[in-house]
Amino acid sequence: MNNSRWLQPLQQQTETMLSQAIAQWQVLPHAVFAQAPQANSWSANECLQHLNSYGDYYLPAIEKAMQQHSTPSTHPFKAGWLGGWFTRMMQTNPTGQPAKKMKAPKQHVPVALPPSHEVIARFIDQQEQLLQLLQQAETSNLSRIKVPISIAPMIKLQLGDVLAFLVAHNHRHVQQAHRALQAASALQG
Amino acid sequence: MDTASALAQLHDFTQRIVPLQPQEWEAFSSIWSPMEASRKTLLTKAGDTERYLYFVVEGIQRIYYSKPDGKEATLVFSYAPSFAGVIDSLLLQQPSRYYMETLTQSRFLRAHVQQWQQLVATHSGIAALSHKALLLAMSGIMERMTELQCFTAEEKFRRLLQRSPHVLQLIPHKYLANYLSIDASTFSKLLGTVRI
Repeated sequence: MNNSRWLQPLQQQTETMLSQAIAQWQVLPHAVFAQAPQANSWSANECLQHLNSYGDYYLPAIEKAMQQHSTPSTHPFKAGWLGGWFTRMMQTNPTGQPAKKMKAPKQHVPVALPPSHEVIARFIDQQEQLLQLLQQAETSNLSRIKVPISIAPMIKLQLGDVLAFLVAHNHRHVQQAHRALQAASALQG
Repeated sequence: MDTASALAQLHDFTQRIVPLQPQEWEAFSSIWSPMEASRKTLLTKAGDTERYLYFVVEGIQRIYYSKPDGKEATLVFSYAPSFAGVIDSLLLQQPSRYYMETLTQSRFLRAHVQQWQQLVATHSGIAALSHKALLLAMSGIMERMTELQCFTAEEKFRRLLQRSPHVLQLIPHKYLANYLSIDASTFSKLLGTVRI
């Protein structure tokens, strides 16, 4: 199917992140998961909270947009200029470091440190939902369906772009969480 | 998918319950077809009548009840090698009260209930195997009812880890906590304190 080429890598990456959360993160103690690697940098707990705040907005928004009846396009999906730019900004270089450092929008900055098991459980829930949406998207029109973006709802992007952005953004901060955990276990020695 | 190795797995599994004669195994093995499902796929919905008996080759599934107010009860997990399916709906051919879903990517063999029941009617070995497998399932359910009614949260947690230590890193903890009927924060506390 036409959509598969676009969606399959997104499904695989989501599956990998989900497996990691289930196999490794949910058995870690809060003390490790909430340990910031250094002042002013996020702990794994905060990285996931940041992602959860995106999921809280995007998953219902995507689900709502996909309720609109559509059939897949006969052409393979192509990223739009703005959507493609957003996704590229999220991408990391081969070492897993962000290609470009950015400041998180205010509404997506974690302000408290809730118990890690709650944060991880929400992350797992959201990734399960995202996988189901990525599956459903195989029979949707990835370019005709539009989703408003979280930081500027008057801007709408193609469904295919939003899905790619969301997964790239997840990937970016999952890698950041991974680095935070390595630093935390070194600190706890 | 490699059906031959899946059937070999089924053969090993059934031999340990009630060994079948070669010609009975030949008949029994002919009713299964391979099937795959990705993570979080609903295999059976409440209200549907179950038509298939599953044999799990890979992955984890759960059967759960969903109350109209959104509350769930996870009744059972299944993983390889074992039979799976909403067994009451299947054998009584009545609408299922339960959902069955995959929790990880899964591979199965599945057999249509009519073909299975036909073999049960004509082959005494297959009847004995099916009967014993049902009794084992029933025994498991009775044991679980006991645990749910009189074990403390910690006892239930310990039993789970003794029986299936691998599930902690395979199943999201919210499903495990729900299965044990304890809340998520109690589950997390036990995870941090209980050492087996």
